[in-house]
Amino acid sequence: MQAEAIDHIRFTTISPEMVKRMSVAKLIVPDTYNEDGYPIDGGLIDQRLGVIDPGLKCKTCGGRAKTCTGHFGHIELVRPVLHPEFSKTIYLLLQSTCESCHRILLDEKQMEQFRPVVKNLITTDVIMEDNIETEGKLAMLTKKLKSVKKCPHCGAPQQKLKFERPTFFYLNGNKLKPDEIRDWLSKISDDDLAYLGIDGKATRPEWLVLTMLLVPPVNVRPSITLETGERSEDDLTHKLVEIMRINQRLEQDIDAGAPQIIIDDLWELLQYHVTTYFNNETPGVPVARHRSTRPLKTLAQRLKGKEGRLRYNLSGKRVNFSARSVISCDTHIGINEIGLPRRLAENLTVPFYVTKWNVERGKSLLSSTEWPGVLNFIGRDGMRKRVTELNRQELLGALEPGVVLERQLMDGDLVLFNRQPTLHKFSIMAHTARVLPGKTLRINASITVPYNADFDGDEMNIHVPQSLEALAEARYLMQPKDILLSSRDGRTISFLFEDQIAGIYLLTKDGTMLTKEEACFMLANIGVYDLPKPNKDGMYSGKAIFSMLLPKDFNYENKSPKGKAVIKNGELLEGVIDTRAVGDTGTMISKLFIEYGPDFTSQFILKASALALRMDYQKGLTVSIRDYYNTPEMDRERESINREAEERVRMLVGSYKQGKLESLPGYTRRETYEMLIIAELAHARERAVSYLNKVLDESNNAYLMATIGARGSLLNMAWIKMLLGQQQVRGKRPSRGYSGRVLPFFKRNSTDPIERGFVEQGFMEGLTPLQMYMHAMGSRDSTMTKSLVTAVSGYLQRRLINALQDFYVDTNLSVKDASGALIQTIYGGDGIDPAMAVVAGKS
Amino acid sequence: MAKDKNEFKIAVGEPVGVVAAQSMGEPSTQMVLKSFHSAGMSSVVTTTGLPRIIEIIDARKRLSFPTMHIYMEKGAEKSYEKAKAVKRKIEGVRLGALLSSFQENLRTASMVLEFDREKLSANDLTTKAVLDRIRHSFENVEVTNDGERATVKYKGKRDIKGVRMTFVRIRGLTVAGLEGISKAVIQQDDNGNFYIMTAGSNVAGVISIPGVNKDRIYSNDIFEIQSVYGIEAARNLIAHELAKTIGDEGFTVSFSHVALIADAMTYSGKIRSVGRHGITGDKTSVFARAAYEETVKHFVNASVFGERDMLKGVAENILIGKQVNVGTGRIRLAIKKDDLRKIKAASE
Repeated sequence: MQAEAIDHIRFTTISPEMVKRMSVAKLIVPDTYNEDGYPIDGGLIDQRLGVIDPGLKCKTCGGRAKTCTGHFGHIELVRPVLHPEFSKTIYLLLQSTCESCHRILLDEKQMEQFRPVVKNLITTDVIMEDNIETEGKLAMLTKKLKSVKKCPHCGAPQQKLKFERPTFFYLNGNKLKPDEIRDWLSKISDDDLAYLGIDGKATRPEWLVLTMLLVPPVNVRPSITLETGERSEDDLTHKLVEIMRINQRLEQDIDAGAPQIIIDDLWELLQYHVTTYFNNETPGVPVARHRSTRPLKTLAQRLKGKEGRLRYNLSGKRVNFSARSVISCDTHIGINEIGLPRRLAENLTVPFYVTKWNVERGKSLLSSTEWPGVLNFIGRDGMRKRVTELNRQELLGALEPGVVLERQLMDGDLVLFNRQPTLHKFSIMAHTARVLPGKTLRINASITVPYNADFDGDEMNIHVPQSLEALAEARYLMQPKDILLSSRDGRTISFLFEDQIAGIYLLTKDGTMLTKEEACFMLANIGVYDLPKPNKDGMYSGKAIFSMLLPKDFNYENKSPKGKAVIKNGELLEGVIDTRAVGDTGTMISKLFIEYGPDFTSQFILKASALALRMDYQKGLTVSIRDYYNTPEMDRERESINREAEERVRMLVGSYKQGKLESLPGYTRRETYEMLIIAELAHARERAVSYLNKVLDESNNAYLMATIGARGSLLNMAWIKMLLGQQQVRGKRPSRGYSGRVLPFFKRNSTDPIERGFVEQGFMEGLTPLQMYMHAMGSRDSTMTKSLVTAVSGYLQRRLINALQDFYVDTNLSVKDASGALIQTIYGGDGIDPAMAVVAGKS
Repeated sequence: MAKDKNEFKIAVGEPVGVVAAQSMGEPSTQMVLKSFHSAGMSSVVTTTGLPRIIEIIDARKRLSFPTMHIYMEKGAEKSYEKAKAVKRKIEGVRLGALLSSFQENLRTASMVLEFDREKLSANDLTTKAVLDRIRHSFENVEVTNDGERATVKYKGKRDIKGVRMTFVRIRGLTVAGLEGISKAVIQQDDNGNFYIMTAGSNVAGVISIPGVNKDRIYSNDIFEIQSVYGIEAARNLIAHELAKTIGDEGFTVSFSHVALIADAMTYSGKIRSVGRHGITGDKTSVFARAAYEETVKHFVNASVFGERDMLKGVAENILIGKQVNVGTGRIRLAIKKDDLRKIKAASE
């Protein structure tokens, strides 16, 4: 429960007075612990700043290490220094104001003219070479301010101001000291600041020059004790020690009346330490290093980047009530379920809110000494107690409405299931738990698709919803059976694939006949206890068996190269069921979902896939090396394909050399030539594919699987049986290595396709060393590309999500963002949910 | 089961932005980084796949492969001759392409150009027109004419680099056609209509050429479309190009998603990129910007201006640990005080 909600957060700079008010201690000793290992008073580990050692008490609030969150201290700087992060702001302020009267260097008319762009003056770091109006004006303003020779208000001549990164300012070549800058800035009026968009109440520019340095509490920079008993301080503490040390020396030298040059040197050194304290990656400043030459991680580094405070700690939340294990598959678990190992169920808990209506149920749970029982008892006072044999009776007595029991996870509980990378919303879905023996998480193979999971060692995570709100969301919005239609394109996220397709095809193809015994066995296996009508021989057709899964009024038709499938009144009359019906490209499952709802459809997927696998067992389906043996005709065909490709390339080479080849638009002649050759050689492979399609039949299991869409493709087969074809590196034929040739023993500038990576043989025949080398080049290139794509597309997704995450649909179906800006007047132009687009008849 | 029409409607509160982003991002993981198709030889080069998507999302000003499709005006759609005539007008011709030979003499700083009569007439040009063009574009050269042959003399400072550069630039001068269009090919679509496909884009130039169908000019250059036709056209182009690029890769993404991305990029009236310098960079929330990129810069600027973060967006609320303001997080329960009191009394 939120006691008080934060309404908004305002950012300001802190004034020296504010620093004093926030601080509990003025720090004067540039050291941490004394010889006894005790914090020095007035040092950087002063006990008034909070404590981190167990046993010590905070001198400010009296709290212990666990309860005291720490308090700020401060350092008084003897000489002011610039806050390095603000030096650009300071530059612009100095630039915009008169050096003598400190007013803005614009007359009234100009002020009016530049009013719309003036705020961007400080925020825009690069002025784009754009023709957009505001930016053009901004460039004008910058130019104008730079070129003012005489103040329009007091008439004082303006000297040339120079800014040297990171913290040096020169007026006509003379260095401006931080105290002079501070003086100048403090004389700029609030009204003039307001013109620049700065609220003088929130940020007085002189505060950007530091006279007081706020020192963060020790909790922010805890020291660690190594095993050797040695203390190791945080990087920030190191930096602060150095700042204080220089500060002290500067003070002594000033008091001793040291020469100006020495004082100035020390002053600059102080500026350096303060600069690196804020940001150790300030451009133009040498990096401050630890003794071990490791660069120090100072304030800016703590916030920045993926491992920084913002993205790692604040945006990255961590949770309890979660578990992780290896996944494996189980044919008898539905797509909406998950098989949980007993050990996980015993350790994950679900809150059981005791009310006057369920006290009895609570009692029986609490009494149970074995799973499913209660692990923790949360009393009405909010105290959590572990249930043990010793206190069970006592707790049973204290059981009353208002108490919350943390009971072990049971069958039927909803849990969230997730696989990383979590690329879309279907990477986290709610499944119903089924507690099973074993140690892996088990799911139906058909639900791996949205998670992009497989069972080669993948691990996945479970989260148990704790609040009723979370449970309701899981229950109504996150179950696979309910969100079967993808919001990406309206297709189903779960369908049959691989073995399941093979099985369902074997079952439904013409001529599949089962005995009564077989039919009974297969149907009973999936929980169907009826038999279809047998034919006159008392046999049962596979089509009839499959039809048992369909509703009696279901009609469906689809076209497939294997013939048209027709389902009328829940009866598969002709054709076969393959991937084009129930697979990734099919529409049958979405039709079932729309007409018969989530529960029926998820059951259909479960039953159809189990039935299909049973069929696989029954018939047996395997790929043997014999599937890839070539007949002499096949070898001859390949030979002729290769010869023809060679001939065509020769012709291309000829016309190129004679200058007859017309270049394609946008390409040079050379590029055109290359592309045409690649196309010609690609054509050779296509010929091999279509040849295989012509000569092979379903007695070849590899061919069978490729054509029904179970696994593999004809291209794969062509690679094995016929030829690998042209190998490519970066979309081109291999061309580099030696001058004019890929390998040293080739002839220079040879036009032979083989010497440019054309592989005339397949895997079955085996590759020559040369061919293997060419193939390895292509493989390496595609491996590299793949790993590059993940990085590029990952960043693309992060950008898209960051840009669009605030958009939501308002009650009138318009799309708005967090600031209330109207993005679309009606979502998608029609307000239709993309998941339902197909159903709604939107193409 | 007859579904209620309302069930097709998008749910109120649905975080459609995230859904759109995921729907674009998830398939892009599986896309190839290669920017060319290895097949499809006949057409003009265009960027495809992930690089093209990034090009659009980034709102790049300079495309790697701008291209146009130009149809002929009504009545002449099927006329190849007409298309050829138009093509001649738009295809940029460089001076070098009109020469049969040339000779540079660095010692005398002069170059002899030998024009090819056939090529000249094929482009409706005369030697004089071309040479006038040179005189017009280059100040410190002297051009003398002598039939098919012309001599260009460099009059500027005599340094070899300058001379060479000038000569090369002269030969690269666009003497006919439209600036920016380097190639044009005539293609035929499925309906038998001829259209011209170009490498390079110059919408404003093409519009003013007689014979083209002004209502059927297509360019893949978003900024050019914006400057000629306005922001709505640019929005449609972004959505269309995204959809096409994804479709070409064999993925299907509902048009609603790409339309939302296009609207997000253009609703302000300007084309903004998705990212640091665009949509995210313009967000009102300091935290949202800081959590994305350039953390320190955003905090520093926010403090100078005394900015307030109203904590309305998603990123800010995750940061401070509050419920997020989209989806089910938008739903609040309200109860009358009296009723609450009654319920409390009843449950006591």
